[in-house]
Amino acid sequence: MQQRPLLVTILASPAVGYMLAFFFVPAGFLLVYSFWTVSGFRIQPDLSLDNYISSVTSPLFLSVTWNALLIGVVTATICVVLAVPVCYYLVYVAKSKMIFYAILLTWFSSYLVRIYAWRTLLGTNGLLNTLLIQAGIVDAPIDALLFSRFAVIIALTQIYLPFCILLVMSSFSEIKPDLIAASRDLGTSASGAFFKVIAPNAVNGLIGAFMLTFLLVAGDYVTPQMLGGTTGQTTGLLIADYFRKSGNWPLGAAQAFIMFAMSAGVYVVLVTTLRATGLAPKKLRNRAS
Amino acid sequence: MLLRLVVFLILLFLIGPVVIIVLFSFHESQSLSFPFTGFSLRWYSELLSNDQLLGAIWFSFKVALLTSIITMVIGTAASLAWLRLERRGRTILELACIIPIALPALFLGVSLLVGFSQARIQLSIWTIVIAHTLLTVPMVMVAMRARLALFDPALEEAARDLGASTIGTFRRVTIPLMAPTLVATGILAFALSFDEFIVTSFVSGTETTLPMFIWSMMRRTVTPVINAVSGLALAITVGLLVVAWLIAVRRRSTANALANTDLD
Repeated sequence: MQQRPLLVTILASPAVGYMLAFFFVPAGFLLVYSFWTVSGFRIQPDLSLDNYISSVTSPLFLSVTWNALLIGVVTATICVVLAVPVCYYLVYVAKSKMIFYAILLTWFSSYLVRIYAWRTLLGTNGLLNTLLIQAGIVDAPIDALLFSRFAVIIALTQIYLPFCILLVMSSFSEIKPDLIAASRDLGTSASGAFFKVIAPNAVNGLIGAFMLTFLLVAGDYVTPQMLGGTTGQTTGLLIADYFRKSGNWPLGAAQAFIMFAMSAGVYVVLVTTLRATGLAPKKLRNRAS
Repeated sequence: MLLRLVVFLILLFLIGPVVIIVLFSFHESQSLSFPFTGFSLRWYSELLSNDQLLGAIWFSFKVALLTSIITMVIGTAASLAWLRLERRGRTILELACIIPIALPALFLGVSLLVGFSQARIQLSIWTIVIAHTLLTVPMVMVAMRARLALFDPALEEAARDLGASTIGTFRRVTIPLMAPTLVATGILAFALSFDEFIVTSFVSGTETTLPMFIWSMMRRTVTPVINAVSGLALAITVGLLVVAWLIAVRRRSTANALANTDLD
């Protein structure tokens, strides 16, 4: 089928051209912008590192970035930990696909609706407080349920868990059930089979799932804004405001790239630590199959 | 058993909040907590008399329809190319097409905003459609790849050996085999576009999409009307997903039957 390279080029070009025109080129513009400067409300073409330097030395930027990274790491960890039993069940135990469809459905149920749901559930007069009072567990409503890091993390977990489950599931599906059966035949317990067979084989998939979830969560600024109160400002909100309110696009662009670099940093730290402690295989494709 | 209980609790955590929102959209009183005093459709009727809301729904519908049409054209072509590429070519095509969904929506939103402003493109319905397509094409590629990995190129070769022309093979063999996944991903693209908020908020002009309308309501107050809008938005998405699923299941079985009778 390789005799018609022209046909392949024609077929592939709309997608590749689209991504070039509307993703790679704009991202390139964004990078160029990050070296420009603003003086007197006018954006000046320049080649300056001012935006980067003033960002990393700004206490506000550092504190909101710390906030975003913290929320991202905690949420992504919880998501992966919760995804593992669900995926184990879906791939090796469940006979029907109903649970899988239910999870898909929650992944597609409106993003804003889910944020709103947590707002009404956790509010001072919300469902959770009302139930706690009616059950006699607390006397007065707990205000701290909403507008806290707790609220942000619980909502983000609910929003991104389905996505994380889909990622972990695809890495579990690559492990042949025969391997598990073989280890069980050789006398390994069920939990032993999980830690000795599934975990080592799935670890790269789990790292991938953690990273993608982390990237999306750390970059999500709407949920922290709606549910985080004073702890709700993250780098994303700062960047969005530079673009929508203050008009300082170059500074916003620089901060978007710093955030990007920091995410890459988290990935490097994670992989290095796991390899150093022997939890992850040294080579990326080291699957026993 | 313990595993089953854990999975059940996690599922409850995922679905519970959404179910409660929908439940209270039918509540007869303003209250958003138990005790539930009775059913009523008053919040829905309040919705239907809101012209701004209906306008936003119609606008979102147009955006989603345009997005899914463009996505299906680009996605089909790319999938056909994927089938005919060697391993390295496939990797390059996948990388180029899948990267955008691995980045926070914020990054895509600000890139597009900068790009449009550099190209002096006015923000309009088209800038929203372009942005949404950027998010849906990767999704189609991911879904198609899983399906096409099962595609047997021998079927196309057999058709050609039996004398079918390139176009004939395409029409009689390739398209029927791809159709269920194609239609399903088209509908998924529609659902994704209908719900998109973050990127839209950067590239929209003067007109408001449904999620943007919900957002502006959410920021002002907490009222059961928002529950009703949510219920409506959910009903639309869920309805679409069920249709996509039914089409995928039904057409796949007919496509398989077709392939078996024609070529076996």
